[in-house]
Amino acid sequence: MSARKLYCEVITPEKILYKGDVDMVIAPGTVGELGILPLHMPLVTTLKIGELRLKHDNGKQDYIAIDSGYLEVMEDKVTVLADAAEYASKMDIAKLNQIKSDIKAGLASIPKNSEELFEATAELERITNRLTIAERRK
Amino acid sequence: MSSTREIRRRIKSVDNTRQITRTMEMVATAKIRKARDRIESARPYAMKMLEVLAKVAANVEGELHPLLAVREPAKRTVIITITTDRGLCGAANANILRRTEHLVAAERAAGADVDIFAVGKKAINYFRYISYDLLDERRDISDNPKFSDAKSIAVILIDMYTKAAIDKVVLIFNHFKSAMEQKPTEIVFLPIKRDAVEEDDAPGKTGEYTFEPSDKEVLDRLLPTYIEALVYRAMLESAASEHGARRTAMKAATDNAGEMISILTRSFNRARQAAITQEIAEIVGGTEALAK
Repeated sequence: MSARKLYCEVITPEKILYKGDVDMVIAPGTVGELGILPLHMPLVTTLKIGELRLKHDNGKQDYIAIDSGYLEVMEDKVTVLADAAEYASKMDIAKLNQIKSDIKAGLASIPKNSEELFEATAELERITNRLTIAERRK
Repeated sequence: MSSTREIRRRIKSVDNTRQITRTMEMVATAKIRKARDRIESARPYAMKMLEVLAKVAANVEGELHPLLAVREPAKRTVIITITTDRGLCGAANANILRRTEHLVAAERAAGADVDIFAVGKKAINYFRYISYDLLDERRDISDNPKFSDAKSIAVILIDMYTKAAIDKVVLIFNHFKSAMEQKPTEIVFLPIKRDAVEEDDAPGKTGEYTFEPSDKEVLDRLLPTYIEALVYRAMLESAASEHGARRTAMKAATDNAGEMISILTRSFNRARQAAITQEIAEIVGGTEALAK
């Protein structure tokens, strides 16, 4: 593994989820997934709902579900600002499934083209994302 | 002089109250710390976001973003009033409500329509009571506000502002200066002041950065997030202030109850003494009468 490291921070409004050295960051950019290695050029991009992966030098990876946000790269420093973020390893699949079916059940009773429907759909998308990641990485 | 039994009952009742206020004081003290930690942990996000925002804003030229557009004088103003859900926290809510009323009067005098967005039961009840029209309301979040709560408020206002349905948004909340001091604070947060997002030492045009999808689109998403973070921060501050104010109020109440108990105890003792003296006098009088 390379000697050069990326310093990575994953920050949400509620807490700092991760900070430390990593080898590679793989993030769900709005225009496509991007992998960031040391010596990357300075970049600011928006992220969509998806999975953020942090690769460590021992071959291990952290899988983090994020609910959209931003990513900044500057001089081997990667900052991820996410509305919300959660480790795949800490997710409770049964609970997520429960929430998902609750939302789905409620979806039918919401009038079309309303603000609530938009909100509920977005929420469903966020939960589904978490669930997919949790299932894949368990 | 009231009877000893009645005084004793009052002492007991005051003592019970003191126990409650003392417990509330201790609970509030514990919650202040938690609330303050939350403010602290929200800071890195806010700082970083401002930093990125400044970089992007310095890069984007030409047409102003709708959230930066200033429309003066404001025809329609929205005031977001953040109070607590529960009472017993001193003047914290009263200050906020008074401040809001002043601002409403000032805005109306300047010829604007004013709408209120009430956060917290205290604000909702108050404005209902004086029959103000509420634009919207939120409750049951003052204790532990979540970012999603702030977001749901911000989204509505950003939407209205972008459609030019409103011209100005002011946030009124208690700023948590310390556990002892909370200050009602007003922030005009829409339109976003350009100098708020462009720091003086911003490195001009940061040509070396790449923006994806484009600098403009990044800015389009960052500005709303900035607003959300601002609302979130205000809610956190308000939550910490609630506990701070409650502790101060409950400490005062506990102290007062203590004082009251000592006064009552004194009159209780006096009454008891008087009763004994009287009994002795009666016994003495009785024996003397028998001896004759």
